[in-house]
Amino acid sequence: MRDPVGHPAVTVPTRRTLLLGAGLAALTHGTARAADPVLLGVSGPLTGPAAQYGAQWKKGFDLALDEVNGGGGIKGRPLALQFEDSQNDPRQSVAIAQKFVGNPAIIAELGDFSSPASMAASPIYQRGKLVQFGFTNSHPDFTKGGDYMWSNSLSQSEQSPQLVTYAIKDLGLRRPAILHLNTDWGRTSKDLAVQTAKALGAEVVATEGYLPEERDFRSTLVRVRDAKPDGLILISYYADGALIARQTRVAGITQPIVAMGSVYSPKFIELGAEAVEGVYTQSNFFPDEPRAEVQDFVRRFRARYNEEPDAFNAYAYDTILLLAAVLRQFGTTRQDVHDGLARIKDVPSVIFGRVAFDTATRRVAGANTANMQVKGGKFVAWDGKPAIPRT
Amino acid sequence: MTWSTWLDYTVNGLVIGNIYALLAVGLALIFGVANLINFAHGSIYTVGAYVGWVCITQLHWPLAATVPAVLLASAVLGVGIERLALRPLHNASRIAPLLATIGISLVLDQITQLVFTPNPRALPSPLPDWRFQIGGGSVGTLDLLILAVGLGTAGALYSFLRFTKMGWAVRATAQDSDAAKQMGVDVNRVNMAVFAIASALGGLSGMLVGMYYNNIDPGMSFDATLKGVVAQIIGGMGNVPGAIAGSLLLGLIESYGIALFGTSYRNLFAFVLLIAILIWRPNGLFASARDLPPEPMTGSFLARGKPVRIPPRALIAIGALAALLPFAGSDYVLQTATNALLYGLLALSLTLVAGTVGMVSLGHAGLLAIGAYASALLAIELAIPVVVAIVLAGIVTAVIGTLLVFPAFRMRGHYVSIATLAIGQIVALVILNWNGLTRGPIGISGIPPLSIGNLPLYDAPQAYWFVLVVVVALALLQARILSSHLGRTWRALRDDDIAARSHGVALDRYKAMAFAFGGFGAGIGGAVTAHLYSYINHETFNAQISVLALTIAILGGLGNISGALLGSALLIGLPELFRGLAEYRMLIYGVALLLLIRLRPQGLLGTA
Repeated sequence: MRDPVGHPAVTVPTRRTLLLGAGLAALTHGTARAADPVLLGVSGPLTGPAAQYGAQWKKGFDLALDEVNGGGGIKGRPLALQFEDSQNDPRQSVAIAQKFVGNPAIIAELGDFSSPASMAASPIYQRGKLVQFGFTNSHPDFTKGGDYMWSNSLSQSEQSPQLVTYAIKDLGLRRPAILHLNTDWGRTSKDLAVQTAKALGAEVVATEGYLPEERDFRSTLVRVRDAKPDGLILISYYADGALIARQTRVAGITQPIVAMGSVYSPKFIELGAEAVEGVYTQSNFFPDEPRAEVQDFVRRFRARYNEEPDAFNAYAYDTILLLAAVLRQFGTTRQDVHDGLARIKDVPSVIFGRVAFDTATRRVAGANTANMQVKGGKFVAWDGKPAIPRT
Repeated sequence: MTWSTWLDYTVNGLVIGNIYALLAVGLALIFGVANLINFAHGSIYTVGAYVGWVCITQLHWPLAATVPAVLLASAVLGVGIERLALRPLHNASRIAPLLATIGISLVLDQITQLVFTPNPRALPSPLPDWRFQIGGGSVGTLDLLILAVGLGTAGALYSFLRFTKMGWAVRATAQDSDAAKQMGVDVNRVNMAVFAIASALGGLSGMLVGMYYNNIDPGMSFDATLKGVVAQIIGGMGNVPGAIAGSLLLGLIESYGIALFGTSYRNLFAFVLLIAILIWRPNGLFASARDLPPEPMTGSFLARGKPVRIPPRALIAIGALAALLPFAGSDYVLQTATNALLYGLLALSLTLVAGTVGMVSLGHAGLLAIGAYASALLAIELAIPVVVAIVLAGIVTAVIGTLLVFPAFRMRGHYVSIATLAIGQIVALVILNWNGLTRGPIGISGIPPLSIGNLPLYDAPQAYWFVLVVVVALALLQARILSSHLGRTWRALRDDDIAARSHGVALDRYKAMAFAFGGFGAGIGGAVTAHLYSYINHETFNAQISVLALTIAILGGLGNISGALLGSALLIGLPELFRGLAEYRMLIYGVALLLLIRLRPQGLLGTA
C-alpha cells in the first residue's frame, strides 16, 4: 500500500548503520533482511496537553532500546520504534492506526495514552490483526476490544484495594475522605477504593471528583474538612496530587495524606515541596530495592538522564523489554507477537517482578507493591509506624 | 452549614477570583480597544510564567529584578503580536484578527513546549510565607500581593484612561477608530500601547499564578484564557473595573457551587449562572442597559467582498475525484479524508449559524457530543439499526441543540460566542455527571460499527464513501436553502436584525431553523464518529474541537460551503502532512495557519 507522507521517525539504527547494512547486504545477498530493523509503532502524545507523558515514555523507551540493541537486538536485527504524535486525540490516533496497519514493517503497536484516544483506534487494530499493546490503559473495557488488545497496565482492581488496605490496616485510618480525578481511571479506582474501605470496616466520609485541568482545591478541601476525616486518600497524578497537598495545609487540614502510586515521581516532590513531606504512597519499584532488574533500570536511567525515574518511565521501559522477549522467543511477524504474548512466561520486569499474561483477560496480574512515604524530600520505604496511633 | 464555614467558602472564592481578575483585566483592556477576544492572552501568560521561572530558578534573580524582566518581555511580545500579526489585518475583516490570535496562541504554546519541555515545573515564591488565619483557613503573602497587583493595575488603568492624554486617545479609539484617526490620534500607537500594557499584565499574572501553585506547564494557557474570558463577560466586556468585579463574582460562584453540590459540579454551576447573567443582563452585570456597545459581529463584522465562485463543472470534477480516492489512496489517506469530511460536516453547520446567520458559536463540539451519545445509546440500549440511530441522533441533536441555544437568540455579537461556549461546556459537564445515562467518565464502549442492514461499512473505503455521500448531500441541501427565500432571510437577519424584524421576520423562528438544520448536520457527524471510534467519553469532544471548528469555518470563509470543506481538508490534512516533523509539526501547522490568514484574511474562498 502507498504511504504518501510517511517519513518514519526511526530512531535506531542511525542512517549510517542502515546504509552500512544495505552495503553489506548488497555484498552478501541473503543476509539483507538481517539488518532491517524490527519495527514497533508507537501512538502517543508528543505535543498537546498530555505531551509530558509522551516525553516520559520516550525516555523509558530509549533506555530499553539501548539495552535490547546492546544485547544483540532481535536475533541480530536491531529493534526500532516509529513514534507518531497523536496529541492524545482520537481523530489522530485512528489515522495513525490505519497508517501502522498499512505498513507491513510494523509488527506491533504501543499506546495510546488516554482511553478515548486508545479505544477509538482499537477496532482498526483488531481488524488489521495488529497487536495494540496499551501499556497505560487501565480502562476495564480496553482489552475487551478484541483478542489483539493486550495490556500490562497496572490493574485498578489490584492497585486501589492495596492502597486502601495500606491506609486502613497499616496506617490506621478509620474515616478517610477520597479525592479523585474525575476520569475513567479515577472513577474506577474510587469505586473500588470505597468498596474496599467498607469491607475493611472503615467509613468513607466524603468523595470528591475533580477535573484534570483544575488547580484550585481550596473550597473542595473545606468540604472535605467539614466531613471530619481522619485522613485523605488521593487518587491523583503527580501534578494535581502536589497541588492538593499544598492547598491542604492552607485549608488547615493536618491529617495524613495517602496517595495512589501514580504520584511516584520526582516531580511530585519538586512541585509539592515541603507540603508533600510525610505523604504516604505506594510504588511498584523504588531505587533501594535489591531486585536486579530494578537496580539495573535505576542505575542506567540515572546515568543517562541524570534524574530519578518515575512510574511512566518504568512502564515504557518494561514494555519494550517484554516485547523484545516475545520477539526473541516467538518470532517477528504480527501473528507471532499475538501468539507469543499468550505463551510468554517469566519475563523479568521492574513493575511486576515476573510477567505472564492471563490469556482470558489479556492482562498481567501481580504487580509488586511497596509501601512508601516522603521523608526529607525523598521517597523512602515506609517506617512501619501507623499514621494514627491505635487506641 | 455554619457561618464560619460560609466565611471559608467566601474567602476561598475571593482568593481564586483574585487570580482570575489578573487575567480578565488584560483581556478586557484589549477587548475594549480592539474589540477582539484575544485567544493568545493565555499564551502570553504562560510565557510570562516561564520568563519568571528562568529569572528566579536559573539566574537566581531577586523578585525586584524578576518582575520588571517579566513585564518587559511580555510587553515586547505583545507589541510584536500587534505589529506583525494583527495590524496587517486591520482593514481586512473583523474576524480575521480573532483567527490570528488563535494561530498565535498555537505557535507560542508550541514554542514554550519545545524550549522548556512539556513537563510541569516548580516556580517557588521567593516571598516569605507569612500566613494570616481567617476563619478555618488562611491567606498568605502571595494572596495579598496578587490582590494588590489586581487592584493596583485596575486603579492605574482607570486613571490612565480617565486622566491622561494617551488614555483619552485609547478611549476614543475604542469608541470609533476612524473618527479618532480623523482627530489626529495615532491609532496604531494606541493599539500598540494597549497590547503592551495588557500583555505585560498577562505575563505578570502568569508568573504570580505560577508561584501561587508552585506549578507551571506549557498546557496551562487554554484554561487560563477560558476563565479570563468568562470572568470579563460577567463584568461586561471591555469594562476594566467590571472585569475585576466579574472575576471575584466568578470565584465566589465556583466556591459556592462546590459548597452546595460538590466539586464535580463546580464548572456546571458557574456556566449555568453565566448564561443566566447573559439572559438577565446581556451586556454584563456592570454595564448600564441603555449603554449598548456597537455591534461587532453583525454587519460590518463580516468582510465585504465577493466569494470566490467555483464553476459547477469544477465542483463536479472535484466530487468525482473525491469519489475515486479509494482506488488511489491507502487506508491511512482514506481515514484522514474521512476525518476531514466529518469535520467538514461540523464546519458546514458552523458556517451556517456563524456565517449566514451571524451567530458565532464557540460550543459546537457540544452538538457533536449530543449526536454521538444519542446514536451510541440508541444503538446499544434500544438495539436500533446503526443507520437509523444516526438519523435519529441528527434529529435529537437538532432539537436539543436548538433548545439549548434558544436563550442566546436575543444576544448579540461576542455574547453569543460566550453563551455558546458555556453551553458547550455544560453539555460536556452534564455528560460527565449524568452517570445513569452516559456512564460518566467511564464512557460508552462497544459501540457497534457503521453498517447498513447486514452490510458492514467499517473498512476504510466504505466508511469514506458513506461519509462522503452524507457530506455531499447535506452540502447540496445547504446550498439549495441558501439560494432560497430562507437563505435570504437568514442573511437579512445577520446584516441588520432590526431592519429584518421591522419587515416582519420573526427572529427566534428563523434562528431556530438555522440551528435546527446546523444541529442536524453536526449531530450526524458526531453519530458517525461514535460508530467509527467504538468508544466515547466526555473528553472525546472537548472545547479544543469547538475552536478548531471555528478556525475551519473562518479560514474557509464564513458562510461559504465550499470554503468549509476546503478549510477542513486543509486543517485536518496539514497536521498529517507534517508528521515527519515530529515535535515541531504543530508549530509549523500554526505558522501555516497564520500565513493563510495573512494571505486571505477574508477566508480562502471569501465570505458568502
